[in-house]
This record gives sequence, C-alpha cells and structure tokens, in this order.
Amino acid sequence: MAPEPKSQSNTHPVIEFRDAEFRIADRPILKSLSLTVSCGETLVLLGRSGSGKTTALKLVNRLLEPSAGEVCVDDRATFEWDPIRLRRRIGYVIQEAGLFPHFTVERNIALVPELEQWPRNRITDRVRELLGVVGLDPAQFAQRYPHQLSGGQRQRVGVARALAADPPILLMDEPFGALDVLTRAEIQREFLEIQQRLRKTILFVTHDMREALLIGTRIALLEAGALTGVYSPADFLRATEPTAAAYVSAFRGDMTPRTLAKRGEE
Amino acid sequence: MNQMRPWIMLAFVPAIFVLFGCVNRRNTIVVGSKNFPEQAILGEILAQQIETQTGLRVERRFYLSGTYICHQALLAGRIDMYVEYTGTALTAILKKPPFSDSRAVFDEVREGYVQRFGLVVEPPLGFNDSFAIVVRADDARRYGIHTISDAAKYTPLWRPGFGYEFQERPDGYDGLVKDYGLKFAAAPRIMDLGLLYRALLARQVDVVAGNTTDGQLVIGAFTVLTDDKHYFPPYQAVPVVRSEVLQQHPEIANALIDLSGKISDKDMQQMNYEVIGQHKDTASVAREFLRAQYLNTAFALTGAVPSKTNQGRARGVGR
Amino acid sequence: MRLVHFFLAHGDEILQASAEHLWLVVIAMLLAIGIGVPLGIAVTRKPWLSKPILGSANIAETIPSLALFGFLLPVPWLGARADRLAIAALAMYALLPIIRNTVAGIQGVDASVRDAARAMGMTGKQVLLRVELPLSLPVLLAGIRVATVWTVGIATIAAAIGAGGLGEFIFRGLAMVDNRVILEGAIPAAILALAADVGFGLLERRLRHPQ
Repeated sequence: MAPEPKSQSNTHPVIEFRDAEFRIADRPILKSLSLTVSCGETLVLLGRSGSGKTTALKLVNRLLEPSAGEVCVDDRATFEWDPIRLRRRIGYVIQEAGLFPHFTVERNIALVPELEQWPRNRITDRVRELLGVVGLDPAQFAQRYPHQLSGGQRQRVGVARALAADPPILLMDEPFGALDVLTRAEIQREFLEIQQRLRKTILFVTHDMREALLIGTRIALLEAGALTGVYSPADFLRATEPTAAAYVSAFRGDMTPRTLAKRGEE
Repeated sequence: MNQMRPWIMLAFVPAIFVLFGCVNRRNTIVVGSKNFPEQAILGEILAQQIETQTGLRVERRFYLSGTYICHQALLAGRIDMYVEYTGTALTAILKKPPFSDSRAVFDEVREGYVQRFGLVVEPPLGFNDSFAIVVRADDARRYGIHTISDAAKYTPLWRPGFGYEFQERPDGYDGLVKDYGLKFAAAPRIMDLGLLYRALLARQVDVVAGNTTDGQLVIGAFTVLTDDKHYFPPYQAVPVVRSEVLQQHPEIANALIDLSGKISDKDMQQMNYEVIGQHKDTASVAREFLRAQYLNTAFALTGAVPSKTNQGRARGVGR
Repeated sequence: MRLVHFFLAHGDEILQASAEHLWLVVIAMLLAIGIGVPLGIAVTRKPWLSKPILGSANIAETIPSLALFGFLLPVPWLGARADRLAIAALAMYALLPIIRNTVAGIQGVDASVRDAARAMGMTGKQVLLRVELPLSLPVLLAGIRVATVWTVGIATIAAAIGAGGLGEFIFRGLAMVDNRVILEGAIPAAILALAADVGFGLLERRLRHPQ
C-alpha cells in the first residue's frame, strides 16, 4: 500500500478507519481499511461498483457496523456513539436524493432542525438561506413537492437538507450520478463553491474519475474491498500503481491523438 | 383543516342511523317469535292483546330462527318479549337437566331467568306443547289403549315414525324407550314432521311422535297417548319479557296476566289447524281468539253481550 | 311499486336494523385495525414473525364464516352474547387484509427514503410514524376498504347466530317465504357495502393527491 501523503490542512483527523472490515456471511466486502479524513478536506473514495466504497461510507454514520476493527468519528468509535446523535451530526446525500415524497421542499429541508427542536422562525430562516445556497428561489420552490421537481432540483434540495442543521461532516454517495452531463457539471461547480465557503469535512464516493479529480482534495482508491492508495489529484495522474494507472489510461485512452487519428481515417 | 370536513361528514352518516333507531324505540314494544306458525300465532296474540289493552304501538319481529336467536335478541333488547316453553328454557337456556313436575319447572325457570338475565317469566298461557305419542284413533279404540304404558304391549307389532329432532334430543327417543321399556317391530323411520301424520294415516307407520298442539289432532283421526310415567318434561308456554319494559310500561304486565291460563291444548290445536291446515291468516286467527276471549269474559262478568261499539278494536298492524 | 311502499312502511325497522348492522361492522373494523396494524408493523420489523402471524390470519380466513361463529359459541364471555361473538368473528376475518396491506404498504416505501430517514438520525419510532406509516397509508386504506366491504357482507350471516342486523330480515324472510322481507335485509346491506366501497375510494383518492 502506498504511503499516505500528509493532508493539506494538518489538522487532526475527524474520521478515522482503523483496520475496519466488513463481511456478509463469510464474504469480505471491505478488507482491513485504514484511512483518515482531516477537518475541512474532501476525501474522495474512488472505485468501481462492488469495490466497497458505499459500505465504507455507511460505516461512518453507523448504518452498518464493522465486523472487525473500528471507525472513529471525532476520536470516538462509532459503537460508542449514540447512533441518533452521531447521525444528526452527519449530513447524508445519496444518488436518489431520498426526499420524503409527502413533505414539501421546505419540510424536507427542515427535517433535522425539527428533530433537534429548533424554534420555528430559526427553521424558516434557515430553510430560506439554504435554498439560496443551493441556487433555488424560495418563493418558487419552498412549497413544491419532490415529484414536481427535476432531477437536478431534487439533488439540490438533498444537499440543502444535508446541510440544514449545519453538521460538521458530510457523507455523499455518488450524489450527482443520476444527473445528465450538463446539470452534473453545473452542480459540481456550485458544490465546489459551497465547500470553499463552508469548509465541511466531506467523504465523497464516486466511480467517476473526472469528478474525483475536480472535487477531491485527496483521492482514496478502492479495489475489491482493499485500499490500493491515497493520492493528491496531481499525484493520481502520475501514479504508477496498476489500478490507478488503469483509471488514468482509461480516462486518457479515448482522448489520445492515436484514437482521434483512427477516427479520422474512417 | 379542509381535509377534516369529509371525515366528519362520513362519521355523521352512521350516527344518524343510530339516533333514528334509538328515538323510535322508546314507545314501541317489539314482540318476537320463533320460526314456526304456532309461535307466530302466539306472538300475534301477545301483540294484539297489548295493542288493545294498553294502546301502545307494537312491532312484530316473527320467524326468528330459533330459541338461541330469540334469547339473544331479548338480551340485546332487540325484542321486548316472546313466548318460550318452560322445558326448553330449562334445558336449552339455563342448561339444567329436565324433570317432570311442571310447577317446579316453572318456578325454577322463573328464578333462573330473573337472576341470570333480568328477564321476567309471566304465568303460563295454559297449554303444554310437548312431544306427543300418537296412534290412529281406531287402533286406540280397538286395543283399548289410553296411555303409553298400555301401548307398550302392542308396540312390538308396530313400526314407529319420528322427526329428526325427536331422534336426537336427550328427552326424545332414547329416553322414551328406556323409561317405558318399549320394543318396536322395526327401527324408526325418520321423516319430516309435516309428513308424519300422513304416513300414520296411510299405515306406513303405526305410531309417531308429534306435538301436543299439532293442528292435525283436531280432525279426530288420531289419539294422543297419555304420558302416564311423566317421561316428557313439561313445555308450558310462557311469555318472557324484559324487566326494563315492564318497569317503563307496567300496564303490559296486566295485559299479559289477563292471558294466563286462557289458551288450552285444544285451543292451540284449533288455531294451528286454522293457520296450517286451512291457510287462514295468522293475524285474523289471533284476533278471533281474542275476541272470543273478550266476549266470554264480558259475558261472565256482566251476563250480557256487549254492543259492537264497546268491543275492543284490534288495530291489526301485523303482517 | 309495492316493494317501495313496503320499504317505506317499514322504514323504522330498516333503520333500526341498519344501525345494528353498522354497529357490528364498525366495532369489528376498529378492533381489526387496532390489532392488525401493530401486527403488520411487527412483521416488518421482525421478518420471522411473518409466518406465524400471516399464517394464523390465513387460517382464520379459510374457516367458513358460519362455522367460525359456531366455534366461538362455547367460549366464555364471548359466547354469552351473540353480538360480542359476531364482532369477534368479524374482526378475525378482517385481520388478514389489514395485516397484509400494512406489511405491503410499509415494505413498499422507497428504500432510499427509508435510508435517508435513518441516516438523518430519526429513531425507529420516528421513521415509522413520520415516514413509513404516512407513505403506506394509501395501501393500508385499500386493505381497510376491502375488509370493510367483506365485513358488511359477512355481518348478514351473523344474524344466524342471533346478532341481529340486516341479515335477520333475510333469515326471517326465508322462513316466512316472503321475498319482500328478504329484500328488506338484502337491499340495505348491499347499499351499505356500496357506500363503504365508494366512501373509502374517495378517501384513497384524496390521499394519493395531496393538495
């Protein structure tokens, strides 16, 4: 395993995987994962389907519990945390958004603040603020229902909902994967801006290398449940480790002068 | 809040039904009956008696399926009274073993009903509707038999015919045979009650178990053998009434007591015959009986026959 | 025309019997919902309960209604009063559709919605009350609707054991060989069943399209 480069911000780890494993029956999904995520950084978990990245994510907010080893959040192992309190401190964004179809946009975003029993007007203000942050006009969208929104709008609401109670940590599982290319690019840019302002600690799962390079401060590569390396974006492009190299060549592969020339000959 | 309104409307509908039902019940008396003609006749007599003597409105709910149904209807207050038979009340409702002293049976039934159900059992109407062992009248004359014990000598020559119920009931066939030591020429033919008398006349059977109030007994072709060993428990007809109704309308008690002892076995046979055999209307048959009763009483009291204007008007609301 | 006059003349009786009938149906349905929904929720929480619970409800369903009334007769307290007995039996019949639809409704909730709810730190109870039950309401209501219409029909048989209701007219009419009396029971019963079906249908539609 390649040595882990020191993270940029030099602050202590918010999330730490210590030899974490996950098995279903006897099948290993995640093998002895050791990884840290520092405060304010965006760590991308990159890998193909079945590489265990979603599983790793779910170990953090205790939707799953490790079969061996431990996962620590804020220096405390997940099984020592009260799961409800743990999850309220962590925003969770998934590909399908998972918005409650029977709640308006406003009520969806207000979910965690309501659970935390914030006063009514603080909640209303916060919802308004967040809709602004994700680029949706409150007057238009607050009272709509999820089925009245486009895919991109739903994801924006999903992000707003995750940020509602101002959690220090965000877990994101291929959040933009279901969007069309243009919308995806748009949202990725906006997301970067939001992150630069808010400086959340983010664990971001994707199988799209372009997204990884754009969004991540570091990239952790997973293959068949094992960590093959952690890289800065620049290092990743130069990596010689086979899995990383495969990714990079696949990316560059359809853009080399040779293939372009071949196309021209047809 | 707008979403609540349809819910509230929905709830109103059944509430209206219930209210309507309750309001109308207060001043109406409901008389029930079991599902055979004798019961309908008795129910009609009770109903008309109450109508003429008290002026209350009476509703009829006849042809309820059976003893259990009537009893449940009484308990639930769906009917206010019906005519039961003491033997049935003792065994089927109070679930006690039968015995033959009719006064004692009546007392026990009256006690039991008041204690367990809060129901009042009025004095017997006068007749006994029990099982009757019946033979052809000419056979009775020829052999000179009047009682079942008399017949025991001849039964080995006879084929018996019984209804299904007589066969099955504990106070039916088995006990009879044991008590009287009867032997028959063949196993009993089980047939529909309605066909028993016809089969008896046609000499397909020689002795049948009918009921003491059967209309067919009127025609004189049959003889009922006396139950000298008092094997059959008494089945005196008694009105059973809810006590709340008597408290609300004490005049009903008087109206019912007026009827006690007034209907003899022969009277009931006659009325059964008119309804079943002659297909007369139940309400008219009841009305005729009550009119005759009234006339008898008036005559007995005053020695004079009252004029038409003084006669009680039976309102005859019944079916 | 004669039939209409007959009905008008016996209007009080019919209303009375309809009230009795409704009473049986409403209490039985409330019991069935009060027992069935929690049982359905339990099955979704602990899948191994599915076999015993759904299995028992299924068995109750296969017993012919009249036989079930008969079986319950000797039971103390229940068997003493025919209407209690009838309500118990009717509730048992209504259990299966209600349990089944509760389970189907809850399991039909989108997994991503349920995951999101859990991930946001909702307790199990909150997920049930704020997410799963509200979202499964249309399916649950469909089950209640079916069960109610059945119950209105089966309640007519309850008259055979003395529980009253509109069925009593049917049985009496059969004994008296009087079709009008039979219809006196059959027509209002059919109307009640229809009204229940339509009523719940409207409610279902309302729920599927909020606002």
